[in-house]
Amino acid sequence: MVFLRLAFTNLARHKTRSVLTMLGIAVSAAVLLSILSFNKGFHKGLERELQRTGLHFMVVPSGCPHEVASLVLHGSVIPKFLDLSVLEKVKAADDIEFASPLLVSQLPNPEEGRVDLVYGMEMQKIGLLKPSWEIDGKIPEGENEVLMGSEVASHRGIKPGSTISYPNISRTFTVTGIVKKTGSQDDAFIYIPFVTAQAVFKKPSGATAIGVRVKDPALLTKITDALSEKVPGIQIVTMNQVMNSIANLAASAKALSLSMAFVAIIVSGFGVMNSMLMAVFERTQEIGMMRAIGASRPDIFRIILKEAALLTMTGSLTGLFLSVTGSGLIEAFVRKVMPYVPGGNMVSFDAGIALLSIAFISFIGILSGLYPAWKASRISPIEAIRG
Amino acid sequence: MIELAGVEKIYKRGAEEVHALRGIDLVISVAEFVSIVGPSGAGKTSLMHILGCLDLPTRGSVKIGPMRAEHMTEKELVGTRRKKIGFVFQQFYLIPGLSVFDNVRLPAVFSRRPAQKGEIESLLEMVGLQNRTHHLPGQLSGGEMQRVAIARALVNTPEILLADEPTGNLDTENSEKIFGLLKSLHLRGYTVVMVTHNQELAGRADRVVTLKDGRIVKS
Ligand SMILES: Nc1ncnc2c1ncn2[C@@H]1O[C@H](COP(=O)(O)OP(=O)(O)O)[C@@H](O)[C@H]1O
Ligand SMILES: [Mg+2]
Repeated sequence: MVFLRLAFTNLARHKTRSVLTMLGIAVSAAVLLSILSFNKGFHKGLERELQRTGLHFMVVPSGCPHEVASLVLHGSVIPKFLDLSVLEKVKAADDIEFASPLLVSQLPNPEEGRVDLVYGMEMQKIGLLKPSWEIDGKIPEGENEVLMGSEVASHRGIKPGSTISYPNISRTFTVTGIVKKTGSQDDAFIYIPFVTAQAVFKKPSGATAIGVRVKDPALLTKITDALSEKVPGIQIVTMNQVMNSIANLAASAKALSLSMAFVAIIVSGFGVMNSMLMAVFERTQEIGMMRAIGASRPDIFRIILKEAALLTMTGSLTGLFLSVTGSGLIEAFVRKVMPYVPGGNMVSFDAGIALLSIAFISFIGILSGLYPAWKASRISPIEAIRG
Repeated sequence: MIELAGVEKIYKRGAEEVHALRGIDLVISVAEFVSIVGPSGAGKTSLMHILGCLDLPTRGSVKIGPMRAEHMTEKELVGTRRKKIGFVFQQFYLIPGLSVFDNVRLPAVFSRRPAQKGEIESLLEMVGLQNRTHHLPGQLSGGEMQRVAIARALVNTPEILLADEPTGNLDTENSEKIFGLLKSLHLRGYTVVMVTHNQELAGRADRVVTLKDGRIVKS
């Protein structure tokens, strides 16, 4: 107890130094924890998304497999188009429940200085394409009626019934409904009828992709194999493949960020070492005195090590606190940098992960305390207290 | 109780050798009050370190009771310091972040001995600081800090109290008080060895040992 109090008061002697060292630990702990928790949440979210989508596979022009992953749910603009004759062939194939074309593009509005992300889809099939959507308002019927993602809508203060105009293409759309927050990229789009999209983007016979749902998912491989044989120039991407490529992307992002977290942890470990070495150096006389009044070398070793441990423990607990309270911020950041993030809560905390991270960081911290502790235990008492 | 025979201490400072003690024969008997005087650099502190088992002589023998210090293991030396020796220093060396109470308790903690509250309080009462128990060292005067240091030196009931210039940082009045305290400890049966520059105080001990250039010139 006295040793612990000793460690505590010694740290308190140099508040700034201790706090800075501790913050170093805290930040790296928070980063590590967030990455690990995020990863867990990411996979959960991905599975959820997979179950929620109404499509089994997408047909896209051949030669753009990488964009596909982002296209499906993120909606990046692909410069290649499918001819609509493909749609007819797909529809005519066996065991197809439905096939629906999608046209994704950007619509500039120079007057308002913005570019909208526009997703053309068959409005009458919305319940099949997006079964999880809840719509505030009604589904568009006319060719100049559109739906809006909740994010774009709230950003511009648009309510069901508002109109948006694009003077550059001489069009004015009525927003008939707002898609309630999904937590995914769906929130950032404007959804317009497919035919309108064809007209606006001047692709009267083109589609970015065709979303397909089959009657029996068990026959998926058979169906896709048959289709790719029958229709040239297309590529079929199943939702599973999409999810896998997203998961792979996430895994490499995770590997990168984990290695950065490890570097941060190592650096803060050196911070602990430096801080403790300074503390030992300043307390040479005190350590000599303690030896004179009965402390053994192992006693001194333990005192210094306890101090390093206290520093890292408080640091990693602060880190835990930071990552829990800051998870919203982290999530917002990740959504910005990652090409695709499933909806819902991304950061999923887990006591096991927290414990493991704290244990790991404490281990590094204590490791960094070993050398200063050893140094301290080698201090010669007679040198230290030459009276 | 402590017997030094032919003790020499040579410090190595790079290639240079410093002969701090050049053959010391000294016997300190139980319940004796010995003062050690001599000019600066005479070897007084070196001698105290050897008496306190904090350092070993380069040559010669140190007998502490039945044990020979130069034959002890590191563990035995630590054990001897814990049980038999109480150190008091010129600079007090109290730990600023710990209360008076905890500072006094520290040697008991190192000895893995659960010191009773009453035990420490009665020590503080003995040095006249019973109402300073929960103060921090920074709130005390120099004389009071030295009294805390003396209480600390006594917590493990050592056989010998070694005080290296305990009044060196104190004014006359406080020096007198500290000396009085050491004297009263001696009267209670403690063996006390005190290094001092103060001839007047030194003279009031049972015996004055004068060191010069590492040798005892008068005893
Ligand atoms: N650890 C040491 N290393 C080298 N020289 C030392 C050391 N300790 C003391 N000395 C030298 O030994 C001599 C005696 O010192 P010391 O015992 O401290 O004398 P005093 O306490 O009488 O002033 C001095 O010349 C001093 O410089
Ligand atoms: Mg000296």
